[in-house]
Amino acid sequence: MERSWQEKAECANPARSFASAKPTGAEKFCARPSLIELAENLYPQQVNMAISADERVEDPGRVPFAAGLRARLRVLEGTAASRTAGVALLVVILAFLSIYPLSMLLYGSLHSTPPGMAGVFNLDGYQAVLTRQNLVMLLNTVGISLAKTFPSLVIAVLLAWILARTDTPFRGALEVLVTLPFFIPPILTAMAWGMLGNPQVGLLNQLYQWATGSSNSPINVYSYGGVIWHMMQYSIPFMFLLIVDAFRAMDPSLEEAARMCGASRWRTFRTVTLLLILPALSSAAILSFIRGIENFESPLFFGSPAGIRVITTDIYDSINQRSPPQYQYATAVSFVIMALLLLIVLLQWKLLRGRNFTTVSGKGYSPTVMKLGKWRWATFAFCVLFFAVTVVLPVGQLLIGSFFKFFGFYQWDMLTLEHYRAVFGSSEFWRGFGNTMLLGLAGASLTMVLGGVVAYISVRTKWRGRMLIDVMAWLPWMMPGIVLGVGFLWGFALLPHAIPIYGTIWALLLAYISLGTPLSVQVMSSAYSQLSYDIEECSRVHGASWLQTMRHIMIALAWPSFAVGWVLVFFGIMRELSASVLLYSVGSEVLSVVLLKLWTNGNAEQVSVIGLMMIVLVVLFRWVQLKVIKARISTL
Amino acid sequence: MSNVVLEKVSRNFGKFSAVSGVDLRVNEGEFVTLLGPSGCGKTTTLRMVAGLEQNTGGRISIGDRVVSDAERGLFVPAERRALGMVFQSYAIWPHMTVFDNVAYPLRVRRTPRPDIRARVLEALRLVEMGDYADRPAPALSGGQQQRVAIARALVFEPALLLLDEPLSNLDARLRAQMGAEFRALQKRLQITSLYVTHDQEEAMALSDRIVVMQAGRVLQIGTPEEIYQRPLSQAVATFFGSPNLLPATVVACARLGESQFELSVRGSGWAGVCRAREAAVKDATVLVMVRPENIRLVDRASRDTGGSIILSGRVIDSSFHGARRSVTIDVGGSLMKADLPAMAPLSELVTLNIDERTAWALAS
Repeated sequence: MERSWQEKAECANPARSFASAKPTGAEKFCARPSLIELAENLYPQQVNMAISADERVEDPGRVPFAAGLRARLRVLEGTAASRTAGVALLVVILAFLSIYPLSMLLYGSLHSTPPGMAGVFNLDGYQAVLTRQNLVMLLNTVGISLAKTFPSLVIAVLLAWILARTDTPFRGALEVLVTLPFFIPPILTAMAWGMLGNPQVGLLNQLYQWATGSSNSPINVYSYGGVIWHMMQYSIPFMFLLIVDAFRAMDPSLEEAARMCGASRWRTFRTVTLLLILPALSSAAILSFIRGIENFESPLFFGSPAGIRVITTDIYDSINQRSPPQYQYATAVSFVIMALLLLIVLLQWKLLRGRNFTTVSGKGYSPTVMKLGKWRWATFAFCVLFFAVTVVLPVGQLLIGSFFKFFGFYQWDMLTLEHYRAVFGSSEFWRGFGNTMLLGLAGASLTMVLGGVVAYISVRTKWRGRMLIDVMAWLPWMMPGIVLGVGFLWGFALLPHAIPIYGTIWALLLAYISLGTPLSVQVMSSAYSQLSYDIEECSRVHGASWLQTMRHIMIALAWPSFAVGWVLVFFGIMRELSASVLLYSVGSEVLSVVLLKLWTNGNAEQVSVIGLMMIVLVVLFRWVQLKVIKARISTL
Repeated sequence: MSNVVLEKVSRNFGKFSAVSGVDLRVNEGEFVTLLGPSGCGKTTTLRMVAGLEQNTGGRISIGDRVVSDAERGLFVPAERRALGMVFQSYAIWPHMTVFDNVAYPLRVRRTPRPDIRARVLEALRLVEMGDYADRPAPALSGGQQQRVAIARALVFEPALLLLDEPLSNLDARLRAQMGAEFRALQKRLQITSLYVTHDQEEAMALSDRIVVMQAGRVLQIGTPEEIYQRPLSQAVATFFGSPNLLPATVVACARLGESQFELSVRGSGWAGVCRAREAAVKDATVLVMVRPENIRLVDRASRDTGGSIILSGRVIDSSFHGARRSVTIDVGGSLMKADLPAMAPLSELVTLNIDERTAWALAS
């Protein structure tokens, strides 16, 4: 009787076995690319023979029309030639996004004039770099970044511990709140803090004077302290996001074992917990240190007015503030900062090699939560205080600033809505808003698609050229926005007139894609590497082609990561200032550039209005992102 | 028609040879198990049949169709071989419901919608998961995921079912139950099955025939009884349980039947008769394999009982296992293991009797 179940189906679908008996040359290559690749390397003649053998087997006369068409479509999706063409296209795109601006920088640093103009090759640019002042600048850059990394690390560890391992109330909500500052564009908080901590009319100093009656202004953000303080507001949530999972995913039996051996709670924390998360801590600290060196907004807003120079602002100044612009010097300094970053990355690899304790194993551990008793309200207050200082204060300043006639004069009769009217009536604002949204949507989508393809090739295949693709996609990571901006500035200027990128919105789009690609590759790589090969192969065995498998299985499973990455890249584009400020031109301004222009003109009130709009956007996108993460957790 | 033939199939990864020269014929409706320690090439062999890996030598045919021939450069990719496969991790797609998982092979084949529904529910019913069709896949237990994976592999009536250690992720009790259920289903549907495992008990309990592999080569192909009782080599013998191997010298040899001989052998302090697959010349050295459960205690008085092997020794260790008692006996300086009835009276000095039909000579 059960036999008939099988036979029945055989009869019902006689075409099936017939159709499946027709191998084509194309399918060979989409079968299991890695192994074919291997085979190609080992037995080139045999594979060539294979193609001809298949052609012999193929008997077009007997294939029904539909099947023949399908076979031809399959040729498109996976022959060796089309794959090579695809990889080549990808290499060209990535080269244009990374190698091209880099080579422009190299040319520029060795040539007395910008590309395309008559000049001579010399080392003047590098000679100009070697001055005593620049040694101070280098020390400033490294020193400021170190000075903000360590206190940030301590606070981040404390927050991670509080939110992952204690019974502090409302931990879920607090986690969303303390990570929020990371998503607010730094230019907004920089301007808000510029108003809050202004030594003459800053709100904090006014409050202090009102409370104490003295006429001193103890707070001055235009100082080393101000630069470091502003950087810390980003470093703390950044490091928190990187280390909190290490706290959460730790196997509790490792700590329980220490307790059973007689160690106290504190001793267990010191000798087991902290040491186990040390790799996560050190890589978070190094990443934060690198970001400190690349940072542009904090030293631009708080350092430059006080005469504190760092590398990024020096590059900006030598192009934007000097006449004529010192291009050769700027590019030479760019290489100094890239060399510095390379050095740190090499150091990181050396430090972290073999130190990857697999405490984060993906198993659903539920870590032991420490009962804090009354103290849990103290930890709660600490988190709330952090949120208040990093978000409520600056946003509150923007809110207040937007309603008063003049920044710094807060009297009831100065209340006004005129700034809102001015902003909403300004075509520049709407253009900037439109450009930012357009660039954000298109840039984030294109970046994620590019990152998804690169990550798939480097994680899931063994195709030739995948190392090259991987390295090229990673390269922009070594280039701070300001450096990449300089490279693209010349790169686009040199393009033939038939390709009108220079001075258009395309210039910004390409720069954003380049800057976002390392992140998108990272996100998609980790998404793909979490999917077992079985899941992909199972689909192939059960009759799905490579494209079908991609669509139904890989993309369907990786899309939550895609969405999360998309929002991250979108945030990145929305906050980007350093490359934008070099690449924009009239008509292609983005919001951050509009803000900077208004700020430089002393229009702090309209800055506040636009800043508030951006904060609303940030909160909206962050909310969507959290929804996506939640949905993902419940399906996986 | 749905038999599988492997002819001199090999797979090299660079210089490393993962599988070399495997010859195997799986008959229609047969359940054949590839058995061996990890790294023996059994999974690679299965993956080559599946089309997930390409053989670098030899030829594979499924039914009367050659699906892979290294010499002619012919290779049919996995999705065109129309096979069912159950993966070790089950590979249940977490973003789909149970129904969608099982329907997948039909959907990619563009089966009409009403057909899909009927066949998926039929397949789910077969594995007793009919009530779970609308559950999201991650909400299933391991055993349930296993059933869904089987339903998915069976739903489009493949010519051949491949199973890659499907039971290894289940706990012991569930493993035995699922194994028995699957074997019953396989017998009812008469599906040709190729099964991979490293668990010898699982292999013996489920299979019609077992292929014992080691280091990429086939050591022996045979029914579970053959492989357990009449192994070809010491390697096969020791892979199943821990038999006693007694060195001995051949005294005489006589033919018993086709490919079966009777050898008179002499060991240190004992003499007797055993069976062998091949004839042996006088004075040749052999190893006599004696399974612990085939050793019986006898009285000292009844020593001469035909050709069976009689040994004397001293009990040095004994442990109770419920149904039986494992005893280690020192026989003239070498240790022997015997599984005795749990209630057998045990003195310090014992005499052991090994029936000539259960003693098996291996080339040493």
